[in-house]
Amino acid sequence: MSNNERQSMKVDIVCVGFGPATAGFLSEISKNLTYDDGSVKLSSRAMPGMPLQIICYERSDDIGFGVSGVVSKAHSIRQSYPDLNGSEIPLTIDVKKEKLVYLLDPHGASSRSAGLKITDKILKLGKWLPWYKKEALELPVIPSFLQKHDGLIFSMGQFSQWAASRILGSGMVQLWPGMPVDKALFFENKMIGVQMVDQGTDKKGEPADGYMPGMQIEADLTVLGDGPVGNISRQLDEKFGLPDDHQQKDWAVGMKMVIELPAHTNLKAGTVFHTFGYPEPEIFGFLYVHPENIVSVGIFVPSWYENPVRTAYRYLQQYIKHPYFRDDIKGGKLKSWGAKSIQESGKRGEPHLAGNGWARIGEGSASTNILTNSGVDEAWETGVLLAQAVEKLAAANQPFTQENLEKTYVNMRRKSHIEEEAEQARHSRDGFHRGFIRGLIGMGLTGLSKGKLNVKTEPKSTHQILKQPEDYFKGRISKERIAELKQQAFSKGLALNDLLMQELGWPEIEYDGQLFMSHQDALLVGGKVQAPNGYRDHVVFLHPHLCKECDNKICIEMCSGQAITPGEDGVPNFDNDRCIHCGACMWNCVKPVESKVDKINIDFQAGAGGLHSAEN
Amino acid sequence: MSKILVVTPVESDGTLPQAAGEALGAAITLKEMLEAELCIGIWGQDVDMAIENLGTDAVSSGFKVEGEAFTVSRYASDAAACEAICRQAKADIVITPDSVRTNRTIAGVAFRLNGVSDTHITEFKIENGDLVVSRWHYRQRILAHLKRSQRPWFISIESGVFIPPQGDSKVPSTEALSVDVNDALTRTTVKGIETPAGDEQTIRPDAELLFVAGAGWTKKQPDGEVKAAQAADIILEFLKESKSSLGSTKSLVDLSSEGAAVLPFMTQLNQVGQTGSTPRHDKGLATCCHGEEPHVVGWRFVNERRVINLDPNCGWAHGKADVLYVADAFTVMQKVNELLGNQ
Amino acid sequence: MTNLNVVVCAGIVPDPLQTLDPVQTGEKPGLRNEMMLPHVLDPWAGHALYEAAELVKETGGKLYVVSIGPKAKLQQVMMTIAQKVPFQLIAADAAAGGFSDSKQIAVQLAELVKQIDGLDLSNTLLFGGWESASRGAGTTLQMVGEILGVTDQFQGVDKISLNDDGSFKVLERIEGGKHLHSSCSGAPAVLGWATGYLPEPPNNPQIGMTNMRTIMPALQQAKPADLENPELTFTAVELPKQKRDTKIVKDISADEIAQEIIDWIKSK
Repeated sequence: MSNNERQSMKVDIVCVGFGPATAGFLSEISKNLTYDDGSVKLSSRAMPGMPLQIICYERSDDIGFGVSGVVSKAHSIRQSYPDLNGSEIPLTIDVKKEKLVYLLDPHGASSRSAGLKITDKILKLGKWLPWYKKEALELPVIPSFLQKHDGLIFSMGQFSQWAASRILGSGMVQLWPGMPVDKALFFENKMIGVQMVDQGTDKKGEPADGYMPGMQIEADLTVLGDGPVGNISRQLDEKFGLPDDHQQKDWAVGMKMVIELPAHTNLKAGTVFHTFGYPEPEIFGFLYVHPENIVSVGIFVPSWYENPVRTAYRYLQQYIKHPYFRDDIKGGKLKSWGAKSIQESGKRGEPHLAGNGWARIGEGSASTNILTNSGVDEAWETGVLLAQAVEKLAAANQPFTQENLEKTYVNMRRKSHIEEEAEQARHSRDGFHRGFIRGLIGMGLTGLSKGKLNVKTEPKSTHQILKQPEDYFKGRISKERIAELKQQAFSKGLALNDLLMQELGWPEIEYDGQLFMSHQDALLVGGKVQAPNGYRDHVVFLHPHLCKECDNKICIEMCSGQAITPGEDGVPNFDNDRCIHCGACMWNCVKPVESKVDKINIDFQAGAGGLHSAEN
Repeated sequence: MSKILVVTPVESDGTLPQAAGEALGAAITLKEMLEAELCIGIWGQDVDMAIENLGTDAVSSGFKVEGEAFTVSRYASDAAACEAICRQAKADIVITPDSVRTNRTIAGVAFRLNGVSDTHITEFKIENGDLVVSRWHYRQRILAHLKRSQRPWFISIESGVFIPPQGDSKVPSTEALSVDVNDALTRTTVKGIETPAGDEQTIRPDAELLFVAGAGWTKKQPDGEVKAAQAADIILEFLKESKSSLGSTKSLVDLSSEGAAVLPFMTQLNQVGQTGSTPRHDKGLATCCHGEEPHVVGWRFVNERRVINLDPNCGWAHGKADVLYVADAFTVMQKVNELLGNQ
Repeated sequence: MTNLNVVVCAGIVPDPLQTLDPVQTGEKPGLRNEMMLPHVLDPWAGHALYEAAELVKETGGKLYVVSIGPKAKLQQVMMTIAQKVPFQLIAADAAAGGFSDSKQIAVQLAELVKQIDGLDLSNTLLFGGWESASRGAGTTLQMVGEILGVTDQFQGVDKISLNDDGSFKVLERIEGGKHLHSSCSGAPAVLGWATGYLPEPPNNPQIGMTNMRTIMPALQQAKPADLENPELTFTAVELPKQKRDTKIVKDISADEIAQEIIDWIKSK
């Protein structure tokens, strides 16, 4: 063992996580640290005589290994880069055409309510209508709040690489991927920086060969851009709680594939499809056509979907086989794949935005608009606003106290269009807690009335919503059969979701090794999912006895990488080599534990590794 | 008319190395394709035995550099000997065997002669009157066909592709060349050969079977336990009984190097694919390698390939292996050992 | 030996685990969407770098990294290695890839080495990977050595041990999983590394902070390098055609599988 002493380093600003929000922050601030002649404009306290010393640590192994299905109006991004030319960024194209499509169920296997089944029958009677195509109804009008015209379709990975390259090229800030941040450091109530994850440990975090304790990075300001499942943000929430009446109960896992289309496809670059109704009414989908015959196609599986066996991967395979898309995708090749958690509580789930020595930006600060499904540009803008606030404070030699950050950053956010739109969207998703149809009506009402009319309800946590499989499938699959299938899944290591779907009449997915492949093989596409050695496991089952008494194990079914698997003693196994860090396990558990915030029995910490594709 | 030169050192016992025989086989093929003249250049302590036993009558002339300084595998002296031969032979194409020793030498010599070099060549063909050679790029993942206008062109052939000549030997007239053995040639001295520590020989290039162990051997098994010690026993016993060569995936080798000491006998020399070797064996048996390199690049030159894997849909075995056994490698290999032991 | 410097010639390559598709435009081969692929330090060069860092720690000399690649990709790779060991970067901006000719690369690398201020070659070792994960030729370093007049060269190196008098012992990989043990009277020498025995160093933020202050200016100053070689023509680049018809054997006992494997091993 060596290097046993924990070291520390002083900078002025440390950023946690590099996504669009941090990219916005760093893009803006890096322009204003020096004057044109190179002299210092914003002085460093950590290194007198130098400009502000700013460093950013990103968990994943490289910049651009993030996931998002991105179609964005990109207003704020364009303000930061007026010379932005989409053709410079691979996979980027202007939005040319938008479609909102209701997908019917051609197999009769989905869990549709009686009302919806009747609706479907009526729709099928209208087959002759010009809007009816291949078991789908293209809505003749797209509500304005869902429109993305004048926007861009792009790849989160490629955009992040492009932004990082410009930021780094400025030479003013440092950006380090492969560096998970472990802890928020406090002195009394002031955040004084962060501590990096220990390296050279065993899976339990105990020192092993090459042990190097995570360095402490001391900073006057910590910028939290670690996203909706970021561990440092959650540590702050656990310490300070959420603001009164705020709660983060609505989540979704978004899973996407990047597919190279076959030559015969009719899908045109620049087209955006938003879909609903299939593979389950609760599951929304999208397909964006990039240049060069590439599409991003994905689905969202929300927390309010009551099915306790809801593996997104199989649903996504089913989705791309829907007749509406099937022929245009058939013969395509899977290039990349990934998933992420999305915080969908919107304004209602907004955490504290700033405190002494810290400020929060991006999706983790509830910037995503849950009505318009828009988050990247909003996240970018929050970063820009914080940068402007920091510039003001630093120029006036004012410390980064809660009071000062509230007067500047928080105040600027409150006056921004993000705030206005988020307020309008506050109740837009409530209706879904009362069913799919009411959800759609609620969303439509909220959108068209700009938030004045809503279908309101109190959202529930996943553990309050989830049913037992026996209850959820009541009348469709018998208890005995479910027990048999559970046993089969356990003994053969198969996904229960696959077996249940087969039982319900979903057609089997035939693997072709190109587009359709096993879940495990998808982990190998577009750069193998991997985890470096020498780090502790970042998914921890807090109280093993709660796992032992749990007969639901939604964590296993919901795991996007099949990294959580059944364990012999009832406590699931975790394999970090398969983890894609989507964070779904963080909100998919039916065993709540004591905390100031909605917390369950799985601790999702920051870990190294994960996806290795820059195309998602 | 083209002139082809084959250059090689001799073994310490004065014989022609196997790889040099393959180079000669390749050169004979090329001679016929180009209707060229073929000559040979050999260096070492005493090279006459090699020149007298070429196994072919196709070589019209020879060159040799002899002396104690040229016995050992050392860049400076090897390059000097090779350079002298090449300058004298004035060949436009120089074929060299696939050995560590010659591969270390030829790029430098080609540079001295203002020539060019390509290594690991697997095929020659004539296209529109030009010689086109093939080689693998990106760790055996992309096959490229290329031609060059510059000469001399040094071409190191990939081992196992060409067959050494087996005919009657006709001894070519051979010119002895002298090379000044100055201090610059002997700054390096060869002290000997070190064999890996440990009781078991795990790398056997001549073995018929390559046994590839993947990272699955040291992962949690279905019962939630890691059984590295048992895995080590099974693998070692199999190697002992079958006399096969052991290959491994990078992830398993890395585990060992980072102190996890999961399979104590595994070293980086065992690694195939990525930063490891791409060995040639008639047969390959990969175990617990889901999605790992052996299926992709490490066994590009393994003829018959079988896999034991728990996942019937392992897309990385599909299309790359001949047979995929869907089974637990622990159980199967234990049984294989038992059967081998009984025989 | 004190103040022995090491210059590591290190290329960058697409992450070896990415899907690689060749494309050919005219006579110029390349990889499809090459600029989209995440890049890494060539794995063998990585080993060379970590060994070099240990060595200069011992001798008190300086560590230089010389690299040629597209500037944007070099910048990306620096983010992943510059926290590992302290070094000074000397770079040239060029679309170097697996289809670039090693001679052209060697000429440019040697030029970059010559540009290192105050570097005394007689007190310097030249390191690099013995092959690359892109071209895989194992020919570049020899030519760099020849251009710089260094004729003590070693390839497939796994170990170097320095002696007090400046001489050093080298272990080179040879056939059969063995090592050739040589002794060299001292620098200069060229060492093309296999994997060595050192694990990848951990990320150290302090090293990163210091390195980046010189790396970014070096990248900004990186001049374009000419890698054109009109005498080399790629007539075609392709993926392996052969696809095997894989027989899936399931639902038979381990005993039966074992017997089948035995029969197969014994068959000729």
